[in-house]
Amino acid sequence: MKSSQIYQDFSPIQNRVQIVTILIEVLFLVLALYYWKVQILDYKKYWKMSEANRTREVIIRASRGVLTDRGGSVILADNQGAFNASLIRENCKNPKESYPRISRLLGLTEDELKKRIEKYVGQPLFKPIVVKDNLDFDEVARIEARKADLPELVIETEPRRFYPFQSLGAHVIGYMQEPSPEELRTVYKDRRLGDLVGKTGIEAMYDSRLVGVDGKATEVVDSLGRIMDELSRVEPNPAPKLRLTLDYDLQAKAEELLTGREGSIIVLDAKTGDVLALASFPTFDPNKFINRFTPEEWLGLLKSPDTPLINRAIQGLYSPGSIFKIVMASGGLASGVITDQTTFFCGGRAEFYGHPFDCWLEGGHGALSLFNAIRYSCNVYFYNVARRMGIEEIAASAQKFGLGAKTGIDLPGEKEGLVPTPEWKKKTRNATWYPGETISVGIGQGPLQVTPLQISAMTALVANRGIRVRPHLLRGEDSSPGQQEARVSIESGVFEKVIEGMWRSVNEQGTGQAARVDNFNVCGKTGSSQTVSSEKAEKMAPQMKQKKTHAWFTGFAPRDNPQVVVTVLVEFGGMGGATAAPLAQRIFALYQDKYDRQKTASGN
Amino acid sequence: MIDRKQLREIDWILIGLLLVNSLVGVALIYSSSHYLPGNLFLRQLLWVVISLAVLFLTISIDYKMLLAYSPYILGLFALVLFGLLAFGRTIAGAKSWVRLAFIGGQPSELAKIAVLLVLARVFSEFRRPYLTTGFVALSAAVVFVPFGLVALQPDLGTAVTFLPLLFACFLLAGLRRKTLILFLILTLAVGLASWNFLLKDYQKKRLTTLINPSQDPRGSGYHVLQSKIAIGSGGLLGKGYKKGSQSQLKFLPARHTDFIFSVLGEEFGFAGVLLVFFSYFLFLSRIFKTVPKSRDRPGMYIVFMAACLIAFQFLVNVMMIVGLFPIAGIPIPLLSYGGSSILTTFIAVGLVLNVKMRRFANV
Repeated sequence: MKSSQIYQDFSPIQNRVQIVTILIEVLFLVLALYYWKVQILDYKKYWKMSEANRTREVIIRASRGVLTDRGGSVILADNQGAFNASLIRENCKNPKESYPRISRLLGLTEDELKKRIEKYVGQPLFKPIVVKDNLDFDEVARIEARKADLPELVIETEPRRFYPFQSLGAHVIGYMQEPSPEELRTVYKDRRLGDLVGKTGIEAMYDSRLVGVDGKATEVVDSLGRIMDELSRVEPNPAPKLRLTLDYDLQAKAEELLTGREGSIIVLDAKTGDVLALASFPTFDPNKFINRFTPEEWLGLLKSPDTPLINRAIQGLYSPGSIFKIVMASGGLASGVITDQTTFFCGGRAEFYGHPFDCWLEGGHGALSLFNAIRYSCNVYFYNVARRMGIEEIAASAQKFGLGAKTGIDLPGEKEGLVPTPEWKKKTRNATWYPGETISVGIGQGPLQVTPLQISAMTALVANRGIRVRPHLLRGEDSSPGQQEARVSIESGVFEKVIEGMWRSVNEQGTGQAARVDNFNVCGKTGSSQTVSSEKAEKMAPQMKQKKTHAWFTGFAPRDNPQVVVTVLVEFGGMGGATAAPLAQRIFALYQDKYDRQKTASGN
Repeated sequence: MIDRKQLREIDWILIGLLLVNSLVGVALIYSSSHYLPGNLFLRQLLWVVISLAVLFLTISIDYKMLLAYSPYILGLFALVLFGLLAFGRTIAGAKSWVRLAFIGGQPSELAKIAVLLVLARVFSEFRRPYLTTGFVALSAAVVFVPFGLVALQPDLGTAVTFLPLLFACFLLAGLRRKTLILFLILTLAVGLASWNFLLKDYQKKRLTTLINPSQDPRGSGYHVLQSKIAIGSGGLLGKGYKKGSQSQLKFLPARHTDFIFSVLGEEFGFAGVLLVFFSYFLFLSRIFKTVPKSRDRPGMYIVFMAACLIAFQFLVNVMMIVGLFPIAGIPIPLLSYGGSSILTTFIAVGLVLNVKMRRFANV
């Protein structure tokens, strides 16, 4: 073969190689351009994605403000460190495979797990969802051991609300619950998934003040979510503690006295309106609500016939019964329809507008002055006062004492009660007011409805000789500016006369004698309000007749320079003097023991 | 066998480019595996040294002799591959590994050299202006045996790299426009058929996620997406050696093997990418330029096939890691970790040097 032949032979091959070489050169160029696009033009986008991969923001939860009693040393609501298992959907490579594993690991059914996850369907995928909270150490260890193959399941810590005295003050303190996704969108916009919020009581009322400022840490993580480094850290700022006006001893005593009954005891500082105790029974343990996932217990309480979730002190509506005679006496005196010299004759029953009205004492009280009418709680006397005053005057008087309006206590859900007037009846029932109804209202029956707290505030007003206080639960902050002008337009002499009657009721063998405490000058008034009409009661069994009334007592002590107001309501407790007054006596005695003895000892 | 004159003809520049690219690979392997046990970069370095020795061994034997023995070499590899299918242990999903005492490797890599030699020998007899059906059938038969055996392992990525050898021969032999169109249609048909009957679901998914990698970021699109994030976040100058978060924090899969170039992109940025493109391009074009300098037809085929083999793998890999090509499990020659791959590439370059240094030798 000659070389010239060879070269001729190879020239097409050389051309072909040339073409391929050029093609490859072009391909290199195109690729370089594409890399330029990815690395230079799209740099920002990919850099952000790489940062999102590499760093993780971890919220360090600030602990909620602690609640203490008025002394500041007894902690009523505290925080404890707790572990939660949370699921980060973004890290989940294969839900079909890992969800069954996770549910087994946490001891949940797959349905439960799915429900917990589905709740947050609209929320971003990187947000952790708490799927089980308050883990014990075994559970934490089991989850940690599977960290590598279940990167979507993480352990988070949170300061968890803890109520050391369980149900003590539950109705005041309230409880915490997870807000619904709907509430998260509307009410709690600044809160995060899985946060707990105060649902009632102080926890709800002062929720925004109890929430601290969460801290934040930026961590560097690897592809399995393991923390490699920490870039920055902002420590959380816990919320300051709130000091309540509650007195631990009085609150505990009040709840102890109510145990086994249904009702409410309220203790107020007469001068300031500080709520020293506010008990409602039956009650509940707010610790149990903090668990995010056992709504059964909560629903059980909601449906329970004795309604433990109702705060009877501010939400229970009752006829005031004879307690209302305080309003009648004051109103009668103030309007001039009676004086302290006015006497009426009680024969056990009287007739008004063609209807018979009974006194509670079948034999009757005979001729009575105002003081003794209050002392013995004579119905006939106050029927007469009611007739003289008329319904408009009665209603105006009741309103002066704060009835029919919220007291303004710093608790959510307070009820207003009802002071009936002819207009009210016209408006709501489209019926005319019968004069006979005025007679019933005169002894606190009829459509009249009050809450125990309103009665407490009313008694404080009487004790202060016409100066109104606003009951409140936050200590030190409620030197409410409106307090000076909170004087009621009734001259103080009127109150002295009503107080004389109340003093006699407790200290001179009146209906309230069971509330008497030596050297403490308790003044008070009992009430036994009918819960069903008397006709119905007739049909009931005789033993039920005694039980058909709610037992009331409200009073203050000492008579001069009053310090404390105590109100007791026992539902279906029978006679106020027999059931409610002895409970009040125990509270007065404890108060005297704790506060008054010290004062008098140092004073003398 | 090798005289002084030929020794002077050794293309030291090509060897230099070969070593430069290999050492870039070692440096990148160190960055992407220094936190793993086993000192992978040292192993790679050892393989480079071994491969260099084998390269010199390769150039010492006249390629005519190698061509003469090539059918037996291919036969031997076919036997080994068959034996692997029958008795091999499955490692990482495929029966591709052979272990002899302390050393292990993938015979499917080295089989490429055998196929290359046999094809060169087949086409040394070809003198027509354009490719003929007979030669297509003959050469396809040669490739089919190892291709089939490797595809059955199953290691489709490696099997596919046999095809550029075949196609390189066709190109060199000359394709009429008609034939080229026919080949395109055939490729399309095979593609469709394999989509419907041959490809496994995960392989199909790789193809669909090529079109839209973010549709399933946690599944098969994850690898491409993480690789693109790594490269894109490198920017112009990169995050610095051993400082790429995507690589160091293991968001990037197969960092020291298939995705080694993504590590480069992340840590050295577009500048680093261009630099390696450039040095690789110099390396490849020097091989391509060797083709016409070959003394004879089989020499041309050897050099051209070697060039196409390396170019194909490089280009497919750099396209694959930015989502321009399905994830096919094809490593970058010289840069990716792997002894068999390094050795095969060095032998291929050895054959190029072999042909070039003997260009003036008399027949």
